[in-house]
Amino acid sequence: MATDTTSTSLESAAQGVSVTGWEAFKNSWFYKFTLFPLGQIFGFILGVSVILTVLALLLAVVFPEPRENINLTQQIARQLPDMIIGGVSIGFVYAMIALGYTLVYGVLKFINFAHSEFFMVGSVVGFEVMQRIGAAGEGVLEAWNPILLIVALVLSGMVISGTLAVIVERVAYRPLRGAPRLVPLISAIGVSFLLIDVVRGFAAITRNDFNLTYPVSQVSFFQQRPEITLTPENAPLLQFWFTAANRDEIDIGLRMTSLIIIVAAILMLLILNWFVNGTKQGRGIRAVSQDMATAGLMGINANLMISLTFFLGGAFGGAAGVLYGLNVGTVTPFVGFIPGLTAFTAAVLGGIGNMTGALLGGLALGLIETFLNGILVYFPAFGQRYTPVFTFSVLILVLLFRPSGLLGAKVDEKV
Amino acid sequence: MTARTSSTSNPLAQMLGFLKQPMVALVAIIAYLLLSLGLLIGLDRGSTVFPLLSMIFFPPFVLAPFLILASPLDGKIKLALIAIQLIILLPLLGIFDSTYLELAIQICIFAGLALGLNIVVGFAGLLDLGYIAFFAVGAYTWAMFTSPIDTIFTINNWTVSANAFYGFVFLGVFFAGVAGILLGLPVLRLRGDYLAIVTLGFGEIIRIVANNLGSPVNITNGSQGLDTVSRPSADFLHPFVIGMEQITGRPIANVEPLAYQILFYFIAILMIVVIIVVARNLENSPIGRAWTAIREDETAAIAMGVPLTRMKLMAFASGAAFAGALGVLYGAKQTFVSPESFSLIQSISILAMVIVGGLGGIRGVLLGAVVVTLLNLQVLKNLSLQINAWKNVDAVIPGWFIIAAAVVVGGLLLYWAYRQLRAALKRREGWFSYLVPAVAALLGVYIAISSFGAQDFPIANWPSQLEPARYERLVFGVLLVIMMIFRPSGLLPEPRRKMELAASKREQEQNKAAGAGD
Amino acid sequence: MANLLEVNDLLKTFGGLTAVKNVSLVVPQGSISAIIGPNGAGKTTFFNLLTGIYKPDNGSVNFAGRSLLGLRPDQVCKAGMSRTFQNIRLFPGMSALENVMVGMHPRLNINMVFTILRVGGFAKQEVHVREKASDLLRFVGLGGKGDEVARNLPYGDQRRLEIARALASDPKLILLDEPTAGMNPQESEAAMGLFRRIRDEKGVTVVLIEHDMKVVMGISEYISVLDYGEKIAAGSPAEIRANPRVVEAYLGRRATEEANKNATRA
Repeated sequence: MATDTTSTSLESAAQGVSVTGWEAFKNSWFYKFTLFPLGQIFGFILGVSVILTVLALLLAVVFPEPRENINLTQQIARQLPDMIIGGVSIGFVYAMIALGYTLVYGVLKFINFAHSEFFMVGSVVGFEVMQRIGAAGEGVLEAWNPILLIVALVLSGMVISGTLAVIVERVAYRPLRGAPRLVPLISAIGVSFLLIDVVRGFAAITRNDFNLTYPVSQVSFFQQRPEITLTPENAPLLQFWFTAANRDEIDIGLRMTSLIIIVAAILMLLILNWFVNGTKQGRGIRAVSQDMATAGLMGINANLMISLTFFLGGAFGGAAGVLYGLNVGTVTPFVGFIPGLTAFTAAVLGGIGNMTGALLGGLALGLIETFLNGILVYFPAFGQRYTPVFTFSVLILVLLFRPSGLLGAKVDEKV
Repeated sequence: MTARTSSTSNPLAQMLGFLKQPMVALVAIIAYLLLSLGLLIGLDRGSTVFPLLSMIFFPPFVLAPFLILASPLDGKIKLALIAIQLIILLPLLGIFDSTYLELAIQICIFAGLALGLNIVVGFAGLLDLGYIAFFAVGAYTWAMFTSPIDTIFTINNWTVSANAFYGFVFLGVFFAGVAGILLGLPVLRLRGDYLAIVTLGFGEIIRIVANNLGSPVNITNGSQGLDTVSRPSADFLHPFVIGMEQITGRPIANVEPLAYQILFYFIAILMIVVIIVVARNLENSPIGRAWTAIREDETAAIAMGVPLTRMKLMAFASGAAFAGALGVLYGAKQTFVSPESFSLIQSISILAMVIVGGLGGIRGVLLGAVVVTLLNLQVLKNLSLQINAWKNVDAVIPGWFIIAAAVVVGGLLLYWAYRQLRAALKRREGWFSYLVPAVAALLGVYIAISSFGAQDFPIANWPSQLEPARYERLVFGVLLVIMMIFRPSGLLPEPRRKMELAASKREQEQNKAAGAGD
Repeated sequence: MANLLEVNDLLKTFGGLTAVKNVSLVVPQGSISAIIGPNGAGKTTFFNLLTGIYKPDNGSVNFAGRSLLGLRPDQVCKAGMSRTFQNIRLFPGMSALENVMVGMHPRLNINMVFTILRVGGFAKQEVHVREKASDLLRFVGLGGKGDEVARNLPYGDQRRLEIARALASDPKLILLDEPTAGMNPQESEAAMGLFRRIRDEKGVTVVLIEHDMKVVMGISEYISVLDYGEKIAAGSPAEIRANPRVVEAYLGRRATEEANKNATRA
């Protein structure tokens, strides 16, 4: 593939075909690493949202009134903006965790079971830093520039989780390289449990409590809820929506923390995309994931690339942890398990080893989960309690019927 | 445990060489048994350090069977000695202090579970992370039919007679076996690591479902669980307990619970014996060989006429069946069953037992079960009790002790890092990573000294959340990582079947790549 | 002589690559046949199709009067077709004897209750299994090596152990995939003797894939030649030697073939 593209571009250059402005733009850094991926993400979110809304409305047709005085169509129409925004924000969190699974899998072909704990550690670090800044005095947190505060929190989460991931790889995985597949997996399970209790012990020693509540209430910026009110006047095209919701106007309330997640995640994902696809180090990682031995022969330090991969994965997990903590408010040392498994499901759904797949899988699962949560409330026999069951079922079904994922290439089994 | 060491170069082995004579060994073992029992019985329960001492003295006593097995005695004498220890000495100890009996029952249950999981993971090489679900099936089988709580199985307060327990053990085996087949059927085609994750998912699904089936139809009573589950009658043991009371001259406060303990202890021992026999019979049979073959090379196995799915299902179902029987016992013993008892951590703890002992070997797995259960249910718990006991008497950790401990630990770590660093520099390898433990050691010593100074640390200030009993994850985690890195074949590896774990996949892949060429 | 195996129009493609293209073949009962062809001609794929490891896209396989299409590898083995692998695939951690014992699996009573309770002749079966496995080891010349772990056996012994394992299921037909690869001339000579004994003493029909022309011409009664997945010739060794297409297929790639031969000999 790679040789094909180079040869065609060489040919076109040799033939003297003039490169139009549009094509030059298409080859530009800005298009390749910003506009195009952004468009993809946006299109995907739109598509999934539309499909889910249609499915939800179909459900509403089958069960118009699941509970007394509850009109499902109205409820769906009223909750739609919240569900989509909530789903996208948690979806980005899943996507950022899923990237860690997928990066490591791509390079080592190994499920890093402990990855969910890098996320957990990130969320605890974020709390710890924010708490410590706030402990300096009354109003200190408020005095900080909120953007700077977020950057500081996310960066500290990234650095510590990333470093931790590198150490874990060095200590618990590297000595097992080349062993049967299950050996490092068992080691990873051990690391996961170990990290949970180490963090728990740390929390016990420092504050004798492991329900760690981010002091978000001390920052008014995080409390803001920018609202957009849609009325028939400013949005005449959405008349059908007002009818469905049986409201004169619809308030789209944005939680500031959700917005922060979305913006931060997009920025970081763009940077990651550029790093992996546009830099020498990224090329090294991709080379190692293709063939570690050959990459070594080509002068690439495979161990260094693996450490770098773990750092990237851990850092993204840590950042996701901080953003998640800011959003949900309270984190514990056990917070990693369910998001971790959901993210792993996302990675598998998208095709493990495939970065785009992880991103899209995370977004899809986040949206589906939020829609389910939003709608299952009205079905008392099921309820939200079964959401994890849903996630596990997706995981199991994908592994059973399409283990290479939706975007992964199907590999013929050879004997 | 050193009696088996055969290498004569080991000075310890040379010193203990005289133990190789059977008569000497026999006398030594009897003395050991009586001494360890006497120490435990002689402990002063009122002492402040009782939890600590009990924690130190109990393991040597429980581990005695492994010492006996390792001794150069004749097989029949070994069996007789183990029988004496398990059938006479342990219940005797239980009459003095029933917590030991409780521990022994727990050990038996976990040992049985570990042996069951060993069939799946050790024999057939299928990593099952949801194994505890089958235990839950057994426990719920018994609890749903005998708990007076109003579930759909107990309409009009009708419950199954308590003595149906013995029949329900077989029912538990049956249901768990069926559950094993039902769960196994879809997943057994999967590759090793995916199988692990999917079984984990199934285990969690079963737990979540059990947690939520309190409504709309009450099947499991949801997260509150089922209580006052029936126990088979232990009345026939009352005269025995009263007789023991007279013989030992120790007043027994409550005859009934002790009688139950003794009953469950013997049921558990019986189950373990049956499970060991079944596991051995399976291992040394065409079925066991087929499992090993599958573990080593699936493609070759199927080409040699081993039906993969059927054999894997057999492994899954027989492992599950063991868990089902033990689940029934567990439900009856606890008289309370709730989804909490069947979480992922339980599956992992059983996996840790199998791995610590040594995959595939029955004796090793038993040792692993004893060691891990002791660590989890005795060492951690007694440390907590000890801390509380010290709290109550306002004990302090002297400042000099903290500093000395920090310096010793830090110094050892530094020394290790120095050795590694020097070696790495000599080999011209990456040395940088060894700086991390060195820096951590220095930092730790600094923190210990600076924050505690030369002050005494009152144990009353010990954070309540830092209670060792709750840190079982730490133990399992450390055990798994350390075993994988340093001793993947376990403490008592099967001599021939070293760690194979699903056959070397790398080898398979190479073969696949090469096989496709022509 | 009746045909034990009849293959008609067997087709297998991987993506765009046609690995086996409408190959038809008959194997008479009690014969020794060979399939030859340059590297990558589809010989091993053909074996994999016969034994059920791959599913053919088209064609039929009739073996001893029944169709093998759609059977799993273990069912094919049970039906009486056993095989060895090009790159030895023993159970490396098991002893030589156990390897052969696993090979007897399709002929044994595999029953949970029977095994756990050890009733109804279980012990007798175990004794029989052990004895027969020892006999087979002796037959291939590994007598006395039964307790050695397969991975520790020398290369030639591993090849012979694989043959013993394949014979353990009492096959009617045994497929040997490059059984003399990596052997020196003396070993090859001994192996040829073994193949003949498999047919003469055990009454098992033999089909082998082989590169060593000395072995092929010296032992086989029928030879089929595959090239690029197609059967280009079939017949007795003399006919094959004289067939211009075969000569072309081999000479056209003489350099590589020569190199391969040297590599396998080395």
